[in-house]
Amino acid sequence: MKRDQKITKLAKKLVELSMDNGVVTESKVAEVLAGFQQVQHRHHLAILKAFLNYLRREVALQTAVVSTPTGLSEDAIKAIEVQFSKLYNRPVNVVTHPDTSLIAGVRVRVGDDVYDASVAGRLQRLAESVN
Amino acid sequence: MKATFITLLFALSLPLGLFSAEDLHADSHISTSADAEHTESVEPGEGGGVISELAGNFGISWATLVAQMVNFCIVALVLYKFAVKPIAATLDERQQKIADGLQYAEEMKVQLAAAERERAEKIKEAAVAAQGILAESREQSKEMIEQKTQEAAAQAEAIIRKASEATELERQKMLSDVRQEVARLVVATSATVLSRDLSDAEKQTFSDSAAKELSSAGN
Repeated sequence: MKRDQKITKLAKKLVELSMDNGVVTESKVAEVLAGFQQVQHRHHLAILKAFLNYLRREVALQTAVVSTPTGLSEDAIKAIEVQFSKLYNRPVNVVTHPDTSLIAGVRVRVGDDVYDASVAGRLQRLAESVN
Repeated sequence: MKATFITLLFALSLPLGLFSAEDLHADSHISTSADAEHTESVEPGEGGGVISELAGNFGISWATLVAQMVNFCIVALVLYKFAVKPIAATLDERQQKIADGLQYAEEMKVQLAAAERERAEKIKEAAVAAQGILAESREQSKEMIEQKTQEAAAQAEAIIRKASEATELERQKMLSDVRQEVARLVVATSATVLSRDLSDAEKQTFSDSAAKELSSAGN
């Protein structure tokens, strides 16, 4: 238990070291990994696994996955990027993802938060409101 | 008894004593008169002489009579000592027993009367108590019947209420299922119709407007 707490704490510290102005960058991650390799920690495998999990979570928090059945205009993508960067108070990158089940509209997911403005989502909420 | 015997003894010995006293008096008189015979003649027909004459006629000897008296007294004493006294004691004892028995019978009679009165009182009390118990039992049975009736009514009411609640719940569930199914069909139909009928340009326009809506919603 104490060992897991230490590993978690160290992994979070590594994630903090991997950020540059609150944003995880590839270069910082490479530096942290290189430094960790030199240290030769006894529980390096467990620490790397925890580090990877926290890193994925952090990357997900600064990535807005925009699902849409058709492509979006550049202006719309830019507007979403600006809006969510402002909303989460950190730089948010937009990644588009085609999803024909939405019929029309967009669905944005940032970390665990989902913002749905699709036709399928509206129909689903309509069906739920009937119940 | 003892007094009776003594009285009888005296009554029997008295004449003999009298006889003997008379006889002695006569003897002394004879002796004195024998002295006086020399001076004067004897007077015939006097009292003591008659008795002596009678005794002589009957062949009574004064010595024998005295001996018989003594014997009689001895026999009487012996009889008194060994026969009359135990008999008297036995009779006294029996009389005492009879008196005790009579007293006991009297006491028993009194006790029997008291017991009879007590029994009557007890029977009366028991009858009163029985009446009380009977009345109480009737009251209790009446209350129990009322209570059971009320309980049965309450249970019947509860069963009816539960049944109606279950029916209502079932109805609500059925309505909910129907609504859900209708909504699902409507949504599925709408989705199919929209995905088929909307053109790509319309979808693009809708997506852009949705993106703008999301962008403006945060402000």
